[in-house]
Amino acid sequence: MVIEVEINNNADPGARFLSWTPSPCRIRMTNPAGAAAPTVNAEITGKSAAGGGTVVFRKGTSGAFSNSIALPLPTNGTSVPFFVAGKFGRPSVTNGDVTIQAAVVSTVVGSVPVMVRIRKNANSLTSGERDRFVSAFAQLNNHGAGRFADFRDMHTAVSLPQAHGRPGFLPWHRAYLLDLERFLQAIDPTVSLPYWRFDQPAPNIFSLDFLGASDSLGTVQFSPTNPLRFWITDGVQGINRRPFFDTGMSPEGLLTEVQTLALGSQYRVFRGMEGDPHGLAHTSFGGSISSVPTAAKDPLFFLLHCNVDRLWAKWQRRLGRFDAAQAASYDSNSTNPPGHNLPDTMWPWNGVTGGTRPPTAPGGPMATSPCVSAPGPKPRVQDCLDYQGTVGALAGMGFDYDDVPFV
Amino acid sequence: MTKKPKKITKSKAKRKGAMKRLAGRFSIATKSRGTVKQRVAALAKVPLTASDSDEDLQAMLKVLRDKNEPAEVRLAALRSLQAATFSAAAFGSFRGDYIVALRDLAEDPNPELRQRVLGILAREKDGFAQKKLLEGLKNPEKALVPPEKALQLLSYDVHGETYQVARGIVTAAPNAIAKREALRLLAADASSAPIFEKVLRDKNEISENRQISAAALQAVQPEKLREHARQIVLDPSEYKEIQAASLTALTQFGDRAIADDEELLKRVNNLSSNAPTKVKQSARRFLSKYGR
Repeated sequence: MVIEVEINNNADPGARFLSWTPSPCRIRMTNPAGAAAPTVNAEITGKSAAGGGTVVFRKGTSGAFSNSIALPLPTNGTSVPFFVAGKFGRPSVTNGDVTIQAAVVSTVVGSVPVMVRIRKNANSLTSGERDRFVSAFAQLNNHGAGRFADFRDMHTAVSLPQAHGRPGFLPWHRAYLLDLERFLQAIDPTVSLPYWRFDQPAPNIFSLDFLGASDSLGTVQFSPTNPLRFWITDGVQGINRRPFFDTGMSPEGLLTEVQTLALGSQYRVFRGMEGDPHGLAHTSFGGSISSVPTAAKDPLFFLLHCNVDRLWAKWQRRLGRFDAAQAASYDSNSTNPPGHNLPDTMWPWNGVTGGTRPPTAPGGPMATSPCVSAPGPKPRVQDCLDYQGTVGALAGMGFDYDDVPFV
Repeated sequence: MTKKPKKITKSKAKRKGAMKRLAGRFSIATKSRGTVKQRVAALAKVPLTASDSDEDLQAMLKVLRDKNEPAEVRLAALRSLQAATFSAAAFGSFRGDYIVALRDLAEDPNPELRQRVLGILAREKDGFAQKKLLEGLKNPEKALVPPEKALQLLSYDVHGETYQVARGIVTAAPNAIAKREALRLLAADASSAPIFEKVLRDKNEISENRQISAAALQAVQPEKLREHARQIVLDPSEYKEIQAASLTALTQFGDRAIADDEELLKRVNNLSSNAPTKVKQSARRFLSKYGR
């Protein structure tokens, strides 16, 4: 007897990645040898390696999750659907550190290794997670000749009105991070974007083996084994970053997470976080990251913005602000320029140039994922709100944060 | 029915209170009230959405420009204004005034303020700042910042003339850090490849400069770097840091043909168990990619 399990309804092994958001799966019998009836009962469970991820299951789109489920499987090969999710608080550390198993009368007849791939606090990554991330980032940059150049070109003075100063600030950057993360995952699928929690000390990030330690001039130093020492942007080697705070501590004067989440229950108020803490986090440094035209030259930019996005995600989860149809979830109004109202497509993924949009659209459409279909190749603002698929099951964008649950 | 208007009134009052507090903070920040510490804290705490109006931004700019204000307050004003460039919708129309003020402050007596202002202008690819920085490199008496800082700031927008000056600094450097910054700036200059090769193979050169040269060579002539990196790894008298960096380069950017290099594989196998930690680490990563 042989049973086949597809994760994210996809036979591609590249789709075997989970988050807290339930993933649709299907199971079917491919070889019924030994089955005595038209259906057999299969028990689906997760088997975790020590310190590995943990998964939970449910049969349909609603209801409680449990550690195992029993499914009647037709011997004629018809697929049976079910849902699996990472158990909140128990993410994976390496690929395949949790296996989904199907057993019939205590005999395992099918199994699939998976990873509960979650965006984590960069300061707490294991050395393996850190090294995989740094290596993938260095390869994406490919000493200045790689696809990272597109991401560098997306965030410049020219693109400022598309991404800043208006309600689209948060959705635009959510799409931007996701696009980059998918490119990193094409290099190493076990990588997810970590975040710099700038209201807490994060000394591990500013170390020679991670994003580097700045000298007094503001030139970032790396260990000889760190591939980021080959970092080149705009034809110049290295990273300029001069912290105005002790990197063993957190920058002073920024709103804390608690204060940010308390800014207000309406998106139009909450988006004030673009100034404090976001803007002030950028200007906690001199160097590339402190100016809009050059900020994206520094990999730290993406960790800073990942935290900004996490704060938005946390605010959304706390107040249930995922539904674009609810006024409090966004801030559409007639004075917004194109790219900032819910139905608008966003530059550069929409490929629109000229007029109110920048003259070029680097990078092409949004990168695809083998796990989810959202937000599509030309994301609209409204496609970036329901990132967990809370309102629409197909809207999930395929990422989650270690401290923001699904329910 | 009676509760609704009451809620609106409460909410309006709350908002009014918040606005009053904001106005108070802004007043401390911009009107020389309070101690330096209070004013610096107020400048950091003024939520930047409050700076959406041109008037507020001009008030902040006035503090920045005022040489009689304490340096800490002026630097805090600069930081808040710079943060506003990331967010304030009104900043677009204010940008011209901001840049003019920064240019004026490029020669401010306060060296920290001067350096930060020149940094912002350099990142905006401002021609005025670039000219001043280049002038200072050619004629140190006119220098507004040390040569290594000037090179670092010029690296935001490299031109032919900058390359020429940087090459000159590599051969006759005013100090070791200036040489390092000149090498970094030249990373995309193909005609500097012989310089990178020379520095990389010079065992008397400081390790940082050799590693920068390795990375620069990887960018302009990757096949040359592979050749040198191989020789460095095979050379038992080489410094371990350089060997680790060479192995990192081969692992990250090398091609599968490396897997056929028996001599190199044998050497790396040896290093993976018999070398300082960093070399061992990079040797093991190399072997996980190319080893059999």
